[in-house]
Amino acid sequence: MSAPFDDILVYLDGSEGSMAASMYAILLAKETGARLHGVYVINTKALGDLVKAHVFISSERAEFLEELKADARRHVRHLEKIAAKKNIAVETEILEGSPSAEVLKYVRANSIDMLVIGQLNMIRSRREELANENERMLRSVPCPVFVAKDSDEIWNMFEEI
Amino acid sequence: MGLLDIIEKELIIVPLTATDRNGIIESLVDRYASSRNLSDDRRREIVAAVLERESMGSTAMERGIAIPHVKLAGMESPSVVIGVSRLPVDFGGAEKSSIFFLVLAGDDNPSEFIQILASITRLCSSDMMVRMIKNARNADEVHQLFFD
Repeated sequence: MSAPFDDILVYLDGSEGSMAASMYAILLAKETGARLHGVYVINTKALGDLVKAHVFISSERAEFLEELKADARRHVRHLEKIAAKKNIAVETEILEGSPSAEVLKYVRANSIDMLVIGQLNMIRSRREELANENERMLRSVPCPVFVAKDSDEIWNMFEEI
Repeated sequence: MGLLDIIEKELIIVPLTATDRNGIIESLVDRYASSRNLSDDRRREIVAAVLERESMGSTAMERGIAIPHVKLAGMESPSVVIGVSRLPVDFGGAEKSSIFFLVLAGDDNPSEFIQILASITRLCSSDMMVRMIKNARNADEVHQLFFD
């Protein structure tokens, strides 16, 4: 039986969790032959909201935007590098906006049928305002979602293939 | 690392008794510095950095909230110090502020810093949450509000 998915998307946010997600997505692509996509979303929605709320001044917004762009390039390059080491081609994109909304758009536009994300936060509050982007993605995308918990096992499996 | 990962009971001050902007910032930084055993030089350096940032534009927002913040080289993980003043203080915004979130973060993870600031602003967009923080009698009660 072939894998029930052809296009895997891994969401990158620079966290350790998203590193584990990247490795797991590469493992899945390697094992199943599915195409691999990687997306980093620069959270310009949050930047804009912070300016509107007077928490950021406009020069601060510009400074953070440049830093986030550099961060995005670094993490995308990292995914490309580790995928290449395992002979896996990866299609990467850096987007801007609200991470969960942009990932949803990407999933729909590219017929993604498996989203891989890093681990979710522990449930320590019922307050919806504190839900993170990974949780929002999990709830909003129409495809199956794989939550890669950061573990030594993933690192070991990745080293072995 | 998100907002809930960095909220510490020890870094919540209720009530804050300073009556002006500089005093509020000093009190918040003092609490952070004593919890981390920082030198007086480092404490002064942080106060100066926060004041410099505030001089560029007040971080006071609506509902009586202010979120002074600064990126500091050499900080391994972000921190937030929360202070609640019984009397609203002129923090340089259109309205006086009585709830303060001092956010300190390293200069190497802009994404994490923005997530923390965004979580605070989202949380403080709730009138109910703001009212409950203002009415909290002590640090325990404020701490509990975040983990309900």
